[in-house]
Amino acid sequence: MAGFGEGVEPPLGAVMPEGTRFIGPVGLAANWRPGDAPSDDDLATCVACGLCLPHCPTYRLTGEESASPRGRIAAMRAVADGRANVDATFARFMDLCLECRACEDVCPSHVPFGRMMERARVQIEPLRTRRARFVRWLGLSVVLRRRWVLSLGRRLTPLARPFLRKRVRTLVPGGGPGRRVARTTEPEGPAKGTVALVTGCVQDQWYRPANRATVRVLARNGWRVIAPRHQVCCGALQAHNGRLSTARKLARRNLAAFRDADWVVVAAAGCGAHVKEYGDLLGGEEATAFSARVRDLMEFLDEQGVERPGHGPAGEGPIRVAYHDACHALRAQRIKEQPRAVLRLIPGVEIAEVPDGDRCCGAAGLYNVLEPDMSDRLMEQKAASIASTEATIVASANPGCTMQIAAGLRNAGRRLEVLHPVELLDRAYAAADARADDR
Amino acid sequence: MADVDAARRELEEALGTTEVLSDPLALTLYARDAAMVEGGCALVAFPHTVEDVVACMQVAARHALPVVPRGSGTGLAGGATPIGDALVVVTSKMDRILEVRPEDRLAWVEPGVLNLDLANAVAPLGFTYAPDPSSQQTCSIGGNVNTNAGGPHCLAYGVTSSHVLAVDVVLPDGTVERFGSEAPEAPGYDLRGILIGSEGTLGIVVGACVRLTPEPPAVRTMLLDFSAVKDCAATVSSIIAGGVVPAAVEMMDHGIIVAAESFAHAGYPTDAAAVLLVEVDGLPEAVEAQSRAVENAARDHGVRTIRVAADDAERALLWKGRKSAFGAVAQIAPHYHLHDCVVPRSKLVDVLAGVYEIAGRHDIIVTNVFHAGDGNLHPLLSFDRRIPGTLERVLSASEQIVRLCVNNGGSLSGEHGIGLEKRDFMPLMFSEVDLGAQACVRAAFDPEGRMNPHKVLPAGARCGDFAMARGTDAAQAAQSIPEGSWI
Repeated sequence: MAGFGEGVEPPLGAVMPEGTRFIGPVGLAANWRPGDAPSDDDLATCVACGLCLPHCPTYRLTGEESASPRGRIAAMRAVADGRANVDATFARFMDLCLECRACEDVCPSHVPFGRMMERARVQIEPLRTRRARFVRWLGLSVVLRRRWVLSLGRRLTPLARPFLRKRVRTLVPGGGPGRRVARTTEPEGPAKGTVALVTGCVQDQWYRPANRATVRVLARNGWRVIAPRHQVCCGALQAHNGRLSTARKLARRNLAAFRDADWVVVAAAGCGAHVKEYGDLLGGEEATAFSARVRDLMEFLDEQGVERPGHGPAGEGPIRVAYHDACHALRAQRIKEQPRAVLRLIPGVEIAEVPDGDRCCGAAGLYNVLEPDMSDRLMEQKAASIASTEATIVASANPGCTMQIAAGLRNAGRRLEVLHPVELLDRAYAAADARADDR
Repeated sequence: MADVDAARRELEEALGTTEVLSDPLALTLYARDAAMVEGGCALVAFPHTVEDVVACMQVAARHALPVVPRGSGTGLAGGATPIGDALVVVTSKMDRILEVRPEDRLAWVEPGVLNLDLANAVAPLGFTYAPDPSSQQTCSIGGNVNTNAGGPHCLAYGVTSSHVLAVDVVLPDGTVERFGSEAPEAPGYDLRGILIGSEGTLGIVVGACVRLTPEPPAVRTMLLDFSAVKDCAATVSSIIAGGVVPAAVEMMDHGIIVAAESFAHAGYPTDAAAVLLVEVDGLPEAVEAQSRAVENAARDHGVRTIRVAADDAERALLWKGRKSAFGAVAQIAPHYHLHDCVVPRSKLVDVLAGVYEIAGRHDIIVTNVFHAGDGNLHPLLSFDRRIPGTLERVLSASEQIVRLCVNNGGSLSGEHGIGLEKRDFMPLMFSEVDLGAQACVRAAFDPEGRMNPHKVLPAGARCGDFAMARGTDAAQAAQSIPEGSWI
């Protein structure tokens, strides 16, 4: 009950039955462990209205508060208020989150859910088994941080394939990556400016053709493209998986690596969303100014304008392209119209909207390996939705989604090509050039 | 002391272990809804079928556990706040639309179907489900039935009660009953009407037959902007006095306009003192005539600008801001408190002035966003609970606002229900005998008093009071009820 002092008649509605209380702190110390934790001010921004619930893919599938943003925040608040501990149940609730940030996008009070979840994940890290911690350390702190180890890993994949867990095997695409993108690529005419490309880790090892297409398209449109060799992994996966200090180290190195460019362009949505948040992650003027220069590739092309290709990418006929919205583009970066606008410039391209297209495909960084059951259900949903569009090509601007969708479609027996949208534009330019040469 | 462990085992056997929660942290997540009061519970169960709900009721009856039904937990009066050893029965997994019969203009749905999902599912057939609470994307039909939910479009179309033909209910002893029927008028007492708005105190709704409403052929949405709150409020009465009942008339004041605009980017005029969002629908000619009447009424009261939505996209945007307004208030302060009192339209100007005055006197930020057309206020008192003394000021202000509304011929709740937060206000509107009569109705369904206890009726309301006052045999009957049972 509220305190109205002695002899004061409390107003109607102030006296509640025993066993209830008005929400708010109960005067206990927080039960957070040392290190990063969700801040009280962030937690206070949620009024528990529940408007996020239907937009949360895991709530949609389970119907349980613990799998909803509101429930996860309530659990964090219980720890912050000293009413609960960071225990296995708490960890379970946090682990099931995709960090797709759909909730953040639809929250009328701008609750910074992504930031809170990243910090909550730091809290649960010590609870993991030694083996789980070792695997995560190996993947996040060793392999991703060192390009040569990652490259070695990719090269060994064909040999290792029979020994990989089945789900990893289905996800990882085969084939070699081909040539790395050049350190510097000059445009044909005078340069409009210098664009530095974040080449990515997974993107650069398994989807290098998309990076090469990016460089060609940018150069063709008058930009000098540099790919700084001393850039490192952006740190998104580390930040999402309880390794904020590693993420901060990586961010600082990238700040230095990309110092000289007018623009920093990212072709992978997951990386882009994170790099744009360096300001938030590191604090300080330099990081904030850096974040302001970062653009998603499709956003950049739409903003700056591109040459309209004179020809479609595949013959004369129309091609139906299902555009897949990566959560980290649609939600975290609020990019929706830009890639569609660019694709519409390509003759013959017809964009098919995917039903429930704003729902996560279940890739979500490492989620498809760490939470296979939930991830598979989302993957099946997504593959069925995409198949229902009767498109022949899926355009996806995030390597994680691309792997997941390709696997989902393969499992469903569907033959659709999954490409980065910039590859379509690049193919259209190539087709137009070939035609010009023929004449 | 109830044997919670035994109840848990029996529930797990009936529903499966994954469908019963007993971990303390998991239970915490069900300790409150979207209102300001937190309780606690012993168990949470997720039924998937009517049989599962029957099992829940039987287990609860065997172990004398209180039962609290819960839909999506968006209630704003604490109606789903559990207390003590309660078993919370969550209907979110009963989410199937069972049958849609456009030719009969009805659909059968399970309680966990979300309001907006239902509306979207019938849209391709040219229909809608008319009651559209602002939380419609999240709130469930079961919850809507239990609160007799309203919404902007209930001005012309009526609240939930007008759109539910029948409900299937599991009573506290585990029996399943249907109240109402598919036929437009059922003979005998309207027991369906008693169930609607009963806030989970009579049983658990496990199915509803809802009326489908054809989409109007033409719709026009207008945003009218005023530099004084009183002009905005006066316009509402003028519109309806002029013979036009729009589909919706919503009012938002300055504070809400700013918060909602920052999220929705609907182009709301952030320098306005208040705006009206008015929607008229019907045949194109009627829409034309009604819009003219609305515009004239607004001009009489010095409207600054009138913006008419050019297309569906703009219309959706104008509504997006309104429907997210509640959620947006955390931008102002982390906590809010409100009572959804209703006042006669003709009193809107005076009551609103009173609301601002009371809030000012208590040094509390108040913002108003409400169904102005039917005088259904939502004065949102925004505050930070962490600052000592604030909650007390908020509660004092709340009480004065409710009294102001009741003194002006108003009512305690337009749509959120009484729940926990408003139950002590009931005597402002009802005599002891009235409340006793309501307690008798409740006891007829739930003689052991286990369904959502402490809600709706104030602590003292007894069926016996009614019987005593009547001086009939019922008085003796009431006294023969076993000791210790709650009525």
